[in-house]
Amino acid sequence: MFNNWLKIFLYQIKNNKFFTLLNLLGLSMGIAGLVFAILYWNDEHEYNAWNPEKERVFSVSNDLGKDMIWASNIAPLQKYLKGIPNVESYCYLNNWYQNEMVEYSGKKEQLKITNAQSTFFSFFPFRFIEGDANNALKDDTSIAISEKTAQKFFGTEKALGRQLKYADKILVVRGVYRIPGKSSFAPEMVVNMLAPRLKQDEEEWGNYGYGLLLKLKDPAASHEVEKAIEGLYYEYRTKPWAKNDGLSIEEFIKVNGSAKVILEQLATSRLHSVAGGYPEGNGNYLFLAIMAALSILIIVLSIVNYVNLTTANAIKRAKEVGVRKILGATKANIVRQFIFEAVATTLIGVVIALVIVELVLPFYNNFLQKTLVLSSNQFYLQLIAIFIIVVIAAGIFPAVYVANFETLNVLKGNFSRSKSGIWLRNGMLILQFAIASFFITGSYVVYQQVNYMSTKDLGFKGEQIVQVNYIRKDTEPKQILARYNAVKQELLKIKGVQAVSSGAFTFGSYATSTSGYNYNDTRVQAQNMAMDFGMLEMMQIKMAKGRMLSDKYASDTISNMLINEVAMNMMKEKDPIGKVINWNDQQLKIVGVVKDFHVSSPQTTIPPMSFFHYKTVEWFPEMLDKFYIKLDADTTEATMAEIEKLWTTKVNTENPFSYDFVDKGFARTYESYVKQRNLFSLLNAVVIIIALFGLFALASYSIERRMKDIAIRKTLGAQTKALLTELSKQYIVFCIIGFLIAFVPAWLLLNKWLDNFAFRITISAIPFIVGFVVLMALTLTVVLSRAYMATRVNVLKYLKYE
Amino acid sequence: MIKIENLSKVFSTEEVETKALNEVSLQIKQGEFVTIMGASGCGKSTLLNIIGLLDNVSGGSYKLLDKEINGLKESERAKIRKENIGFVFQNFNLIDELSVYDNIELPLIYNNVPAGERRKKVEAIAERLAISHRLKHFPQQLSGGQQQRAAVARALVNDPKIILADEPTGNLDSKNGNEVMELLTDLHANGATILMVTHSDYDASFSQRTILMKDGMILSEQQNSRKVDVFVG
Repeated sequence: MFNNWLKIFLYQIKNNKFFTLLNLLGLSMGIAGLVFAILYWNDEHEYNAWNPEKERVFSVSNDLGKDMIWASNIAPLQKYLKGIPNVESYCYLNNWYQNEMVEYSGKKEQLKITNAQSTFFSFFPFRFIEGDANNALKDDTSIAISEKTAQKFFGTEKALGRQLKYADKILVVRGVYRIPGKSSFAPEMVVNMLAPRLKQDEEEWGNYGYGLLLKLKDPAASHEVEKAIEGLYYEYRTKPWAKNDGLSIEEFIKVNGSAKVILEQLATSRLHSVAGGYPEGNGNYLFLAIMAALSILIIVLSIVNYVNLTTANAIKRAKEVGVRKILGATKANIVRQFIFEAVATTLIGVVIALVIVELVLPFYNNFLQKTLVLSSNQFYLQLIAIFIIVVIAAGIFPAVYVANFETLNVLKGNFSRSKSGIWLRNGMLILQFAIASFFITGSYVVYQQVNYMSTKDLGFKGEQIVQVNYIRKDTEPKQILARYNAVKQELLKIKGVQAVSSGAFTFGSYATSTSGYNYNDTRVQAQNMAMDFGMLEMMQIKMAKGRMLSDKYASDTISNMLINEVAMNMMKEKDPIGKVINWNDQQLKIVGVVKDFHVSSPQTTIPPMSFFHYKTVEWFPEMLDKFYIKLDADTTEATMAEIEKLWTTKVNTENPFSYDFVDKGFARTYESYVKQRNLFSLLNAVVIIIALFGLFALASYSIERRMKDIAIRKTLGAQTKALLTELSKQYIVFCIIGFLIAFVPAWLLLNKWLDNFAFRITISAIPFIVGFVVLMALTLTVVLSRAYMATRVNVLKYLKYE
Repeated sequence: MIKIENLSKVFSTEEVETKALNEVSLQIKQGEFVTIMGASGCGKSTLLNIIGLLDNVSGGSYKLLDKEINGLKESERAKIRKENIGFVFQNFNLIDELSVYDNIELPLIYNNVPAGERRKKVEAIAERLAISHRLKHFPQQLSGGQQQRAAVARALVNDPKIILADEPTGNLDSKNGNEVMELLTDLHANGATILMVTHSDYDASFSQRTILMKDGMILSEQQNSRKVDVFVG
């Protein structure tokens, strides 16, 4: 039996090479797409899966209102946390890596360092190879290092007890750990040096400077803990501050708002966190979901193709089925035969899909910045599941359809023109048209939005401006500025350097700090854009009102500031020039309003900003950590080499020279959307190809079915043109119906996607018109070419038949 | 072997009711070779299809091997069909995608005959029908007569109780047609029960008895080239 089936199957492949190829390609592309989505899905879901504490560990974030959700916390909570019944333990830590140099007997390595309290390893219980978790961070000179770090420094020798030099301190290795899987914290070294800062900030109820992890006894009751912390804020911050301002508590809250506490479980934080708060970052859940949904659409499309082609082809095989039935085959038997064929086809499809995946994986990895591999038992189980689902979805319907052929009709010979099953094939064709128009329209809209972002007037010009990171040695503000000016003079001597300035903010990110002030009963929490003179001019940022800060005015380094238009609007002040703000008890006069420019990324809203010279506020020089240098376009490379030389020989001999071009750094902020656009275009191409395969094959079959009809019409004198119209018109109708079906879902989903952007295009009619025209043009090309071929045939061949 | 009493078959569309068979009664004994003749549309193919369990009846009784067929389920009829009936068609109905060997083997597969036995049986029947040298060929590579011999071999391989032949020479030239008729006569001589539908008087002359049909009724029976008029209600 099996042998017999195999023979027929191979015969069909051999004699329908082209259609088999289309069918297989469609199916394998669909499966490959799904495999890609699954690999990505698995990778993201592996994060923290190994961590036995993942259900009980929560990160604490604060929602300060106005879209400000910070994953950072205040120090004074520490002494009250133990008083909350559900909190088992806590860990204050820096939830970012300090990327700094560590030295062992002359050998220096730059390491990702986590600075945390001693409880860290009970939150992230890494496996200890040397030493143990309890002693690893017992005091501020005890550290733990990763296995790799140990190898870098000590090779195969024991690391325990050895001394490393970091931040001018001698530290003792008390433990070596191995991270068991993907982890939201994956440091190369863990130190316990937070205590002095925590001590210093003990009463700072407004200084959000620390990551905070809690381990709860009952994870289900995390909301009670949120309420408890909010209660602490109320008691120890809102009440005394209101009293201090001479306001009632209600009035104070009305002006200043109140922080809401958000507890996020480690188990789900990788993909669902709103605040982030882990150094390894978040997964892009939206992108993952889009990817998964699109790949499911593609696999549906290719299954539809398979079903369509198989049922269309089955008509040709009606005789075989009829004969089999006469010779004693039962329906179940025929069903099994066709399912066998689906299994065989899918199997080949899966193999081709895996080959495609293997070939494309390097590009995909590069695209996602990941290192996905085709392995893991979980993946193979999923692959088997895909296989079974595809076989069921693609195999069962054609099998049952074929098994129900009326034996007599088949043998009477009039079956090949039967209309049986045609409604289904047409329905599926319409579905394909719908999916294809969704994709064409969608990728056009995505293209438009990304184009909009990349060509948007950002309000500044970052070309030829390089941001050089500056690691300071000095701690005294005056010294910092003196040293800065010295380096600036050196830089200006280099040929090709046109201007040098500095700002305590990064394009593509935000300012280093923010401060709030009250004006007209509104609280404005503005970015502290501390800078040197010439910074705004260098970036070609324009003024809306007033003047820029300048060294011509002595007061510009003492009591003058600028604000941006967003701040001006928030302050409800039509004419802010000359107005005075009480800025942290310093009276500062507004001398200009800066035209809004994008600082973090083109897709986020522009925050309120205050601009000052570094000297204006006592502690601002401490934020001076980068130079902005404008280079001559003709000598960029040579100039950069000179700057690097200056840097590594004179400015900072210990750390590597690190810099970034402002325009490129800023472009990275919407890189993920550029990638989405590219991915969407690629998927679009795949979808259109699969859909066209299907259309081509189906049109071929249906025209073949009508060959006798065509032959008769030709003998009766029909013109080619009339025949073409006759053959094509139904596809045009299907194309229109498919487009109409896709219209509303496409519009809704694309609008939802666009809602991610603070600055977005509105969907016009153009993407839909383009989608429709493209789809129609492709449909007509395929159908007309097939139909034209049909009208060229020898009439006699079909009239003699039967 | 076959006993049919007052058998009717009505085809109905929305507007018209056509009586394809009208109260037909007929008996075929074991070892008989019977021909049904008649003009196109007289109901002879319908009768053959009903006898071959490919079609349902609208009324009357059909007993095959003393078992009432009318009212049986599709699956039961499929079982009786595969065990008892062999078909030979005008257009051969060989599966083009399978070799002659595979075509002949098919009924044995569906009757769950073990593989070793299948080979023996296929080779024996091919030997008998003189197509042993053609077993590896595909139907399209054979002459019409050879194709029909392959089809007959397939009909016979499972030792059916009765062979139903629907215009077996209709697509053949006279030489090949003759060969097939001689083959059927031969089989009959060896004890096979055969019911054949044909347009050809010449073909009919090979059989023992000819039944003439018109408008769904049996008009006359002719035995051994000796005509006997019968009256049918």
